Amino acid sequence: MIRDITIGQYYPGKSLLHKMDPRMKLILTFAIIIVIFLCKNFFSLGIIAVTAVLAAILSRVPLKMILKSLKPIVIILIFTAVLNIFYTQGGDTWFEWKFIKLTEKGVFTAIFTMVRIVSLVTISSLLTYTTTPTMLTDAIERVLSPLKIFKIKVHTLAMMMTLALRFIPTLIEEIDRIMNAQKARGADLETGGIIQRAKALVPIFIPLMVSSFRRAYELAFAMTCRCYTGGEGRTRMKQMKLKIIDFFALVACIAITAGIIVLNHFFEAVI
Amino acid sequence: MNYALETIGLTHYYSKGTPQQVAAISDVNLKIEKGELVGIIGHTGSGKSTLISHFNGLLKPDSGKVLVNGVDIHKDKETLRNTRFKVGLCFQYPEYQLFEETVYKDIAFGPKNMKLSDEEIKERVFKAAAFVGVKKEHLNQSPFDLSGGEKRRVAIAGVMSMEPEILIFDEPAAGLDPRGRKDLIELIKEYRKQTGSTVIVVSHSMEDIACMADRVVVINNSTVAMQGSVDEVFSRSEELRSMGLNVPEITEIFAKLRAKGIDVPANVYTVEQGAEILRRLASGRCAE
Repeated sequence: MIRDITIGQYYPGKSLLHKMDPRMKLILTFAIIIVIFLCKNFFSLGIIAVTAVLAAILSRVPLKMILKSLKPIVIILIFTAVLNIFYTQGGDTWFEWKFIKLTEKGVFTAIFTMVRIVSLVTISSLLTYTTTPTMLTDAIERVLSPLKIFKIKVHTLAMMMTLALRFIPTLIEEIDRIMNAQKARGADLETGGIIQRAKALVPIFIPLMVSSFRRAYELAFAMTCRCYTGGEGRTRMKQMKLKIIDFFALVACIAITAGIIVLNHFFEAVI
Repeated sequence: MNYALETIGLTHYYSKGTPQQVAAISDVNLKIEKGELVGIIGHTGSGKSTLISHFNGLLKPDSGKVLVNGVDIHKDKETLRNTRFKVGLCFQYPEYQLFEETVYKDIAFGPKNMKLSDEEIKERVFKAAAFVGVKKEHLNQSPFDLSGGEKRRVAIAGVMSMEPEILIFDEPAAGLDPRGRKDLIELIKEYRKQTGSTVIVVSHSMEDIACMADRVVVINNSTVAMQGSVDEVFSRSEELRSMGLNVPEITEIFAKLRAKGIDVPANVYTVEQGAEILRRLASGRCAE
């Protein structure tokens, strides 16, 4: 049922990746994602794939969990693979039947894109598996703090994100409660066409909106009562410190990037 | 004769199939007769709410059965859907389920789902609104413009307008002031009297239960711990206390009076009763 939805898919653990500074994790994940798109041939892509596998092993997150994060993209994967196979033509023709034509280049491009997407999702989901949502928003706040120069209220943004995350379980509970109340009045949520079903959601979402606004007012009031005035001069309970492992990770990432650039240079590009 | 509502070995687990599996209710056997007003008491987390969610089929039991008029409500889809209309369930803080543009439309939501004719819907809405004391001029207002107490009345009317054979209230008076509480209890009693429906009230308040229920069911540790008349249940105050419950305050006052050697009966459960006895006692003293 609706309770099964998990957002913020933190997997508790004590691995090296869990212990890393969330700021470093965040920055390096972004860096690697950019680097993934620098890869031009299977050798450089291989480095990324190996990195993804190694990181997964290091994180000690069970394989089942990682596969679960890949599940939502299966359709996208198939779609891109099929498109690439038929729209990229070139090299030897391996198979031909009426309008279907399999070529060397098409197949290679398809495999290349798939590996790329899978690595991308694996690496980015490892970030959320090993970092709690609160730590992540904290890290985002710290990483974005240079934007203060442009008068962007980074702290406010981060606080909004934290609050949004905090209220997801509450809202799910609320939806559950309202759904039951409307079902008790005979609301039919399970049958009917798409328009009918969309209509059936009205009795759920209006009370949800109303109570969300009420909650928001109450929360703002409670925060004001506790003298919340924004980020100015606020200190934090958990200080973030860079450790040796963070520098290791940084060096590893630089090495990976260098390796990819070199390999791109020496071998023929697939894409 | 069939019971209005009967449960046989009703059991429901939460987080079934995981290591955290817990029985929310286990082996509940209840028989509720037609026209009865039953009070269900139990401390927080004892499984009361889970239990009543089974009565109209919102939850499916992991084992056991729920029979309404002798028919298993999970027999088929059709039966289940009809059960929703036969067994009206009014949740805690029902005012949070209001959603329509007008009070009228909101009360009409249930009857409309029953696919009644427009005339009949209109008739039922007016009847339910009049019964709970929602003024006619309020019917065209937005429910969100009403006060908290009025909203609750509208929400209750929304369940009553389905004219269920069994009406269940979960903490109907929660969050109301003493006056609102009293009015609501009178309303429930009056509803039972006028329609002859079976009514089940879940509450924390021993006072509320004592002054309206014919029969009291005590839920403790996910199952029925005690059941019987108000007298039978509240006379076992020690057992109730061990379950984190209590007897009505007035009963406790009378117990203390008895302990001081004043000759008053032990079976006093409502303030009205108590006041009457004290008045008689006082006038007796004056006569001496």
